[in-house]
Amino acid sequence: MSSKGSSKSFSPWKLLSENGILIGLLLLCALFSYLTYEEQQPTGASAGIQVADLIQDRYSPGSNVLIIIKPEPPEQNEFAQAASQALQEYGHTVVEIVVGAPPDARQAWDRLKAEGKTVQAIAATQDVSQWTVFDFMEGFDRKNIVRAESYNWPTFLMRANLVNIAGQIAVIAILAIGMTLVIITGGIDLSVGSLIAFSAVVSCWFIQEKFGAQEASTMSMIIACLIAIAACGLIGLFSGALITTFDCPPFIATLGMMMIASGLAFIIAEGQSIYKIPESFKWLSHQKDIVESVWDTVRFGMGPKDLSVPNSVVLMLVLYVITHIVMTRTTLGRYIYAVGGNREAARLSGVPVIFILLFVYTICGALAGLGGVVLASQLNSGLPTYGLMYELFVIAAVVVGGTSLFGGEGKITGTLVGAFIIAVIRNGMNLTNVESYTQKVVLGLVILIAVLIDRIKKKGLMGKFVTALKNVILILGRMVRSSD
Amino acid sequence: MKISHLFLFTLLSFGMLAGCSSKPGDNSKPQTNPNDENKTTENTKSKGTIAISVLTMTNPFFKVLAENVEAEAKKHGYDVIVTSGEKDVAIQQNQVKDFIVKKVSAIILCPCDSKSIGPVVKEANDAGIPVFTADNACLAEGVEIVSHIGSDNLGGGRLGGEAMIKALGDEGGKVVILDYKSAESCLLRVQGFKEVINKHNEGRETGKIDIVSELPGEGDKELGFKATEDSLQAHPDLRGIFAINDPAALGAYAALEKAGKQDQVKIVGFDGQPDGLKAIDEGKIFADPIQLPDRIGRQTVQTIIKYFSGAKVEKEQLIPTELYYGKGKK
Repeated sequence: MSSKGSSKSFSPWKLLSENGILIGLLLLCALFSYLTYEEQQPTGASAGIQVADLIQDRYSPGSNVLIIIKPEPPEQNEFAQAASQALQEYGHTVVEIVVGAPPDARQAWDRLKAEGKTVQAIAATQDVSQWTVFDFMEGFDRKNIVRAESYNWPTFLMRANLVNIAGQIAVIAILAIGMTLVIITGGIDLSVGSLIAFSAVVSCWFIQEKFGAQEASTMSMIIACLIAIAACGLIGLFSGALITTFDCPPFIATLGMMMIASGLAFIIAEGQSIYKIPESFKWLSHQKDIVESVWDTVRFGMGPKDLSVPNSVVLMLVLYVITHIVMTRTTLGRYIYAVGGNREAARLSGVPVIFILLFVYTICGALAGLGGVVLASQLNSGLPTYGLMYELFVIAAVVVGGTSLFGGEGKITGTLVGAFIIAVIRNGMNLTNVESYTQKVVLGLVILIAVLIDRIKKKGLMGKFVTALKNVILILGRMVRSSD
Repeated sequence: MKISHLFLFTLLSFGMLAGCSSKPGDNSKPQTNPNDENKTTENTKSKGTIAISVLTMTNPFFKVLAENVEAEAKKHGYDVIVTSGEKDVAIQQNQVKDFIVKKVSAIILCPCDSKSIGPVVKEANDAGIPVFTADNACLAEGVEIVSHIGSDNLGGGRLGGEAMIKALGDEGGKVVILDYKSAESCLLRVQGFKEVINKHNEGRETGKIDIVSELPGEGDKELGFKATEDSLQAHPDLRGIFAINDPAALGAYAALEKAGKQDQVKIVGFDGQPDGLKAIDEGKIFADPIQLPDRIGRQTVQTIIKYFSGAKVEKEQLIPTELYYGKGKK
């Protein structure tokens, strides 16, 4: 039933093969870390102190220093405060702290010049130091801009990027939960992409048209989202009914629903984006207060202050934990595997097959609705063109995660890893400037490989596969050598 | 047993593939601009990175725009990242998020949706990265766009209306608009077009130009084709089509050709990209208000340079369009 083996003896090979995709993910991360290993700039207070030290080394005591920063993000201000404090402790004078855009810097410079003040050095953050405005400041030499020294670290592993990846995959990962259940029962749901659009449009439409647009209250926004999710659940239930009662092939039933949902989304939105939505609607995918509040109570003043992911990622993880427990610890989970393993046998042994099928399609629809709400929150608007091709990415995440398209087998944790593999490949390729057409080819290849592995596992074609792979590597090797 | 091993291997080889394919991009830098190496002797180190995400690369308009951004930025010593949202605002949003992580110096957007792009523009604002829009403006509230550089779409739409009046002559007749409602620039074109047509119809008994429907062509050849086929069914006596860009206009022409009505129905397009101009020269499209994507691209980069040099930049810079009726015609 489940993919857990029966042998209890410990074998490193088995451990490897069971966690193969996880290791694959880690290796991908290592690869992209290597490829994006580049200069990084220190920010915030540490950069400020470093700049003050550099000025202390290079300039005579009592120099006049101008600090220039941008208004955002907050690290810029931290930089200015730390630099200013340290400089004054060293006995230098901070003439002024300029906060703003290049025109502000130029104005400040001209003003200081008019007042007859001299400036020996300008302390600037990394991005400010790149401004060309310094070339236009009369009587100033670019060499006198002091900024923190850079260090080397993979951009891929920057905290902001990791949070980015999690945020980017949240929608697909949430949908992939429902899809995993459906695929484990041996079915497929093609309507999820359209349901995203439908749900985003419905929730935004209710907020804009019925609940007072920008003045909508939190409660009414929640109700609008619940309506959208329930509507998508109903559509899922309807697909399930077609599949069970009329013995419709899942592929066809959900294909029909896919078009219906997409059409409805266009009708409701009249082809336009629905955007008169309160700013607070972004809470779900932009705010990070769930983790922040938990982290604040747990950390006892230790560790980094800012260790946060968007609320939508928390939601995604919670859903994965719940589903994992349901699938591994409950009768319901065992039934779902049983239906996919052998439907007739399951029916004969008393599994309520029809109920289980209706259940998984309803859940899949509702989760697609939830995904649509998250996407609408990310973009703070609803548009009927959302979710295009998402069903394929979702199926890809499930298959890469090791769930068999033939039913009966699969793990919810595998799906999460599969979703992350797709997100990491996309993000990594974006960071390494691979253009989007090549990205599609690579993603397609990854899916094919995952399916191949699934088949090989089943049929024991290992020997053939190894020979084929050896040949491919040999040919690739020759190509690389000849192209050099 | 060794499944995991093989899986790793294949994944790694993909990684290598990804790694390899990023190389041509790097290599092409000196290739595309061999002359510029001498110019930037003073400042060999890059001044930073300008990142651009266009609406779609399948429309030559954006290709030309992006190429000119790239060339102009490199001339001034900036690195460039070019991406395309391919009309999916969620993809474009992720691209901008990656720009923010990479801490680019400036971002140029041709938004896939004028309003839905708002939240991520806000994120860029919060990260202190200046955002510029080219061609299609951002209409979301509470976000800061340093400058918008685009065609005068309203004026262009008016020119399109004038061209249509000229095309249909005194007879007037039924006209269909192939629109693209989620792009602000295209809404303005339609608005300008209608203004002129309505004015033309005022106080006129005969020869009115009757806008019978506005169908979604989405600026796409295929959808333009389908929408035209359908409207020919609904209005066999159709006389004119106003398409908000060249791909939609060319799609419309394909449908007219299929129905054998290319002489009965006159098309006015928009953009004036190479394939559109060729179609006008061949008489397939009656006229185009021409946009100048090369100028938009270059001016956007120049605005960024100006901004970084500390000069004030205008919030909106409109570049006028001009009518093109074909080689040597007026």
